[in-house]
Amino acid sequence: MIVFGRFIRDRRRGLVGWSLGVVVAVASTLALFPTVKGQTSYNDLIDNLPRALRESMGLSAAVPFTSGPGYLQSRLFSTFLPILLLVFAIAAGARALGGAEEDGGLELVLANPVSRRHVLAGRYLGVVALVATLGAVALVALVVVGAPVGALDGVDRAGLLAAAVAVVGLALLHGTIAFVAGAVSGRRGPAVVAGAGVAVGGYLVQVLAASSPSLHAVGLLSPWQWLLARNMLATGPAWTALVLPVVVSAVLVVAGSTVFEQRDLR
Amino acid sequence: MAEALTKRFGDVVALDSLDLTIESGEVFGYLGPNGAGKTTTIRLLLDFLRPTSGSVRVLGRPPTDVSVRHKIGYLPAEVRLDPSYTGEDVFRFFAALRGVVDRTRQTSLCDRFGLDPTRRIGELSTGNRRKVAIVQAFLHGPDLLVLDEPTSGLDPLLQEEFHRLVREESARGATVFLSSHMLPEVEQLAQRVGVLRAGCLATVTDLDELRSRARQRIDLHIDGPADAAVFEGVTGVVEARADQRVVHLVVEGSVDGVVKAASRVRVHRWVTHDVDLEEMFLELYR
Repeated sequence: MIVFGRFIRDRRRGLVGWSLGVVVAVASTLALFPTVKGQTSYNDLIDNLPRALRESMGLSAAVPFTSGPGYLQSRLFSTFLPILLLVFAIAAGARALGGAEEDGGLELVLANPVSRRHVLAGRYLGVVALVATLGAVALVALVVVGAPVGALDGVDRAGLLAAAVAVVGLALLHGTIAFVAGAVSGRRGPAVVAGAGVAVGGYLVQVLAASSPSLHAVGLLSPWQWLLARNMLATGPAWTALVLPVVVSAVLVVAGSTVFEQRDLR
Repeated sequence: MAEALTKRFGDVVALDSLDLTIESGEVFGYLGPNGAGKTTTIRLLLDFLRPTSGSVRVLGRPPTDVSVRHKIGYLPAEVRLDPSYTGEDVFRFFAALRGVVDRTRQTSLCDRFGLDPTRRIGELSTGNRRKVAIVQAFLHGPDLLVLDEPTSGLDPLLQEEFHRLVREESARGATVFLSSHMLPEVEQLAQRVGVLRAGCLATVTDLDELRSRARQRIDLHIDGPADAAVFEGVTGVVEARADQRVVHLVVEGSVDGVVKAASRVRVHRWVTHDVDLEEMFLELYR
């Protein structure tokens, strides 16, 4: 708990900055919604786009871009919010152990009567708390700004909450990969590369899978596919998007913790 | 303390079957040139590294036992702390981890070394960072102090203050493991000294024995032409060489003979050199 508390205090300034950024991003996106709402010409335009492109923008024929669920899904939940949170999570995860060890700050901490497992757990929970907080800020901003402009009309409430949690889950999964890579390597670089590499790779796999039905099974390997398979804002919570990132993250952290406890520090 | 302790990094043998026992309550000097394996030994004591073979016990327990570190104060050779922390942050955080909060001692230690604990590590000079590391190491009154090159980067007055502090802790009953590549530092504090070279313990002796074997380099600047013959055959002199107006000497053990012999010539400058350990302990290393 001491390690966790210290970690949060160390990162609170960064979190405030990121929160402001997310609020501005969400609010400015939503401010444009009234110009799109109900404009059928947009729908015609989008219907003419290739299916793969349409799907990569988070659009489907059933949920038009000009409706609240369609607009929010395509402008925020399919790429913009996940990428913002993902970058934050990867940076926080890579810095928490790998970066700290590389900078040398970890060594003096571990000269105290505290186990490596304890430090790892405290700092990982810190990363989880940071990413979850940023996700909550985004959701609150979305509700506060979205309601007056009518962007929440027709949005499934449980689905909205689930979509926000799922975006946090996606970001956290990649943050976890960076955290664990840092715990194993003791360096920041490989941690960032691992997190970002999986994110980009997973995104490409999801886009490819969406473009061709024969590749659909491959797409199931991509965390992006878990998130984007369904528009939760229109159709309610999708359990794969909520559960899978948590399960995979938990397995990775346990494995990473075992390696971290047994290896030599740098 | 250490038994057949060996640590390899890939093909490099950093420490080769080290056998060493430190008595409770003593100040033990761990002397060796840079790269001899001193820091590796310390990192094994603190469980940052795991032995390739052999074993270590610290205060009777294996280093993997986390609770041992309640009783250890560690001062690293290179102080690396989060630059955004203030000294105060470091002391509070570590005190909480150790479960020992002693504000009075913290204030008195900071005052002794003239450290302002409200400034961020990132703004501090190397010397001041070292002070932060010193205060945190002594903060909880540990039973074992592990000091790695403790006074490098401290000005002479603070070195004196630091030596006083170590003597006080020793008098209180603390065991001190003092690692250094400088004989003068170890000389002032330690009762017993181990000399490490290339991962092997060359010798463990008491300090008097070591002094009698240590070599030093002395240059005498003479008024008039220098003549090395004056110092040839003088007790302790192993090498005497004249170079225009300077006599270069290498002396083993006491310099008393040299001082007396020097009275026969007009010496106007007496320069002693810090000899590195390799040179100082030629005998031991041979």
